[in-house]
Amino acid sequence: MSTADTDARLKRLALYAVLIAMAGFYLLPILTGLFTSITSPESYTGQSPFLPPMEPLLPETGSFSLQPWGNAFDGLARGLTNSFILVIPATILSGLFGSMAAYGLTNVDWRGQVGIYALFVAGIFIPYQAVLVPLTQFWYNVVPLQSLFAPLAGLPLVQAYHWKLVALIVTHTAYGIPICTLLFRAHYKKLSDEMIEAARLDGASVSTIYRRIVLPLSIPMFAVVFIYQFTQIWNDLLFALTIVQFGDASVVTQELVGIGVSQAGTNFPLRMAAALLAALPTLVVYVLFGDKFAEGVTA
Amino acid sequence: MAELTLDSVTKVFNDGGSDEVVAVDDLSMGIEDGEFLVLVGPSGCGKSTTLRMIAGLETVTDGEIRLGERTINDSSPADRDIAMVFQSYALYPHMTVRENMRFGLEESTDMPDDEIRSKVEGTAAMMGIEDLLDRKPSELSGGQQQRVALGRAIVRDPSAFLMDEPLSNLDAKLRATMRTELQRLQADLGVTTVYVTHDQTEAMTMGDRIAVLDDGVLQQVGTPLECYHTPNNRFVAGFIGEPSMNFFPTARSGDTLSAEQFTYPLPEAVASSLGDATEVTLGVRPEDVEVRPAVDDLGDHDFACVVDVVEPVGESNNVYLRFADAPEGETFIATISGMRNVAAGDRVGATIPPSAIHLFDDRTGAALRNRSLADVDGVTST
Repeated sequence: MSTADTDARLKRLALYAVLIAMAGFYLLPILTGLFTSITSPESYTGQSPFLPPMEPLLPETGSFSLQPWGNAFDGLARGLTNSFILVIPATILSGLFGSMAAYGLTNVDWRGQVGIYALFVAGIFIPYQAVLVPLTQFWYNVVPLQSLFAPLAGLPLVQAYHWKLVALIVTHTAYGIPICTLLFRAHYKKLSDEMIEAARLDGASVSTIYRRIVLPLSIPMFAVVFIYQFTQIWNDLLFALTIVQFGDASVVTQELVGIGVSQAGTNFPLRMAAALLAALPTLVVYVLFGDKFAEGVTA
Repeated sequence: MAELTLDSVTKVFNDGGSDEVVAVDDLSMGIEDGEFLVLVGPSGCGKSTTLRMIAGLETVTDGEIRLGERTINDSSPADRDIAMVFQSYALYPHMTVRENMRFGLEESTDMPDDEIRSKVEGTAAMMGIEDLLDRKPSELSGGQQQRVALGRAIVRDPSAFLMDEPLSNLDAKLRATMRTELQRLQADLGVTTVYVTHDQTEAMTMGDRIAVLDDGVLQQVGTPLECYHTPNNRFVAGFIGEPSMNFFPTARSGDTLSAEQFTYPLPEAVASSLGDATEVTLGVRPEDVEVRPAVDDLGDHDFACVVDVVEPVGESNNVYLRFADAPEGETFIATISGMRNVAAGDRVGATIPPSAIHLFDDRTGAALRNRSLADVDGVTST
């Protein structure tokens, strides 16, 4: 065997060693969480979190149980439902509005668009903390959303407390538009000007060009934006605490805070199961949009 | 179908601003119904801007553009009844060829579905792309995309075609084929066409007439041979023709031109037509320079030269000549038959025949005298 071959083999070996180490580094905490979450709370000792529950085969590891997952699901059911009611429209709306704004600011020519775009960019940098008090004021005192929403509560599947989720949807949509606009604008700048001009000559209006040319060409970017916004909104706790505060409209992050905590102590298996359950939807979104995401990021 | 008229059309970018740029300056010309006009000029001369103004993609600062009887200055691109072919083809990448071709008909007419289908299929058949109708642009070669772009314009059946360097992304062989095909297509359809190119070969070979633009100013409009043989000015003379016309700056006194390397006596009739111009540029086309074996008894219009470089093109040789006593690098070009054998370093005699010379006024660039057309068929002096 030549030295070059040996070198190549050694390099390959080193590469795999590093990759395995990295995989271990990333997976270990998740594995720990997973093992903890399938341990019966009564037998949980916290002594060997890296090992699966194998009592009575292996002492001190706890005994296997799916009870924590069942309890977590029961405990989070309301929060999960509310989160889905919130996150799906908020993600779609912020993506759609961001795309429209980016199209108007990039592919349509009009006076003063740079100034307007600067406002959008500035919007990205408004810290959450700065708007918490105004937001509460706005939704509770300025806009009488609660009373406006009341007539709708009679509709099937609609509850009176859903007005808080509507407020949260509007808030997240508004807060998401600037970053979505920025992402879409980067994509739209790369669209061929000649193609847009060809469509204008073909007789298409500004809105038709968006609907029939730009929107279909934005699908990879929508995957990026949807994944990003879904994760952001799903994981948000601050706005939810501010606007929902507590009660029936609580979202999953709010429910997660209190689950498995009592005067008797912390129920670690339940908390782990709940945390994994709450993180699951974002994982599913990544898997579903993953290939389009890669296309959008590398485009 | 209609004639297209540009009347004192001017385009100023950043009008009124500190960095005002005049892209097109007071351009007037008429393009007859069914005519193929080629707008040619170096990059940045305003030819694309002119085309874009006709298309409605740029506003017109001043002047008027008429299509038929209709002034279209303020019409939207969609209302102008014009189709354009772009350099990049500008096909819609997410649509099939069929959808690309349908798009314009769907958006600009309320034609029923089956009529659109038959029109698209008819045009595709004419363009020889009927097998490609269900493919996406990314699955097509450059030449096929080019055909689709043309088909998309033709299917609209517009009053005028605008083409912005449509062949420049093709390889040389295909470009030559498409040149011929485009000409035939345009003649068959009889649609008024404005074709923009920087390539003087395309301009010469394709246009019924060509319009030469430089720095936003129209230099000349005429048939290709008119522009070639009777250029209005030095710019047109130098731009049209490949290899370019040779220019020698000279000082004139009476009927003698004195250049750095030679003196050139002018015939009486020529000298008297020059008026009081004293700074004159002498121009001669490479094919008009006669190259002969070196002789001792040189006539008035014969010059002793040394061959610097020979570029064989096949049917002809481009010979770079240097006056015998001129420094290295100062050469002019003669085109001779490809069958003749001339090598670098050869001493030869070069004749610049008085009947073939062009004379330009250095102050204005205007042509004072163009070559005699006695030996040129089919061109009348303008």
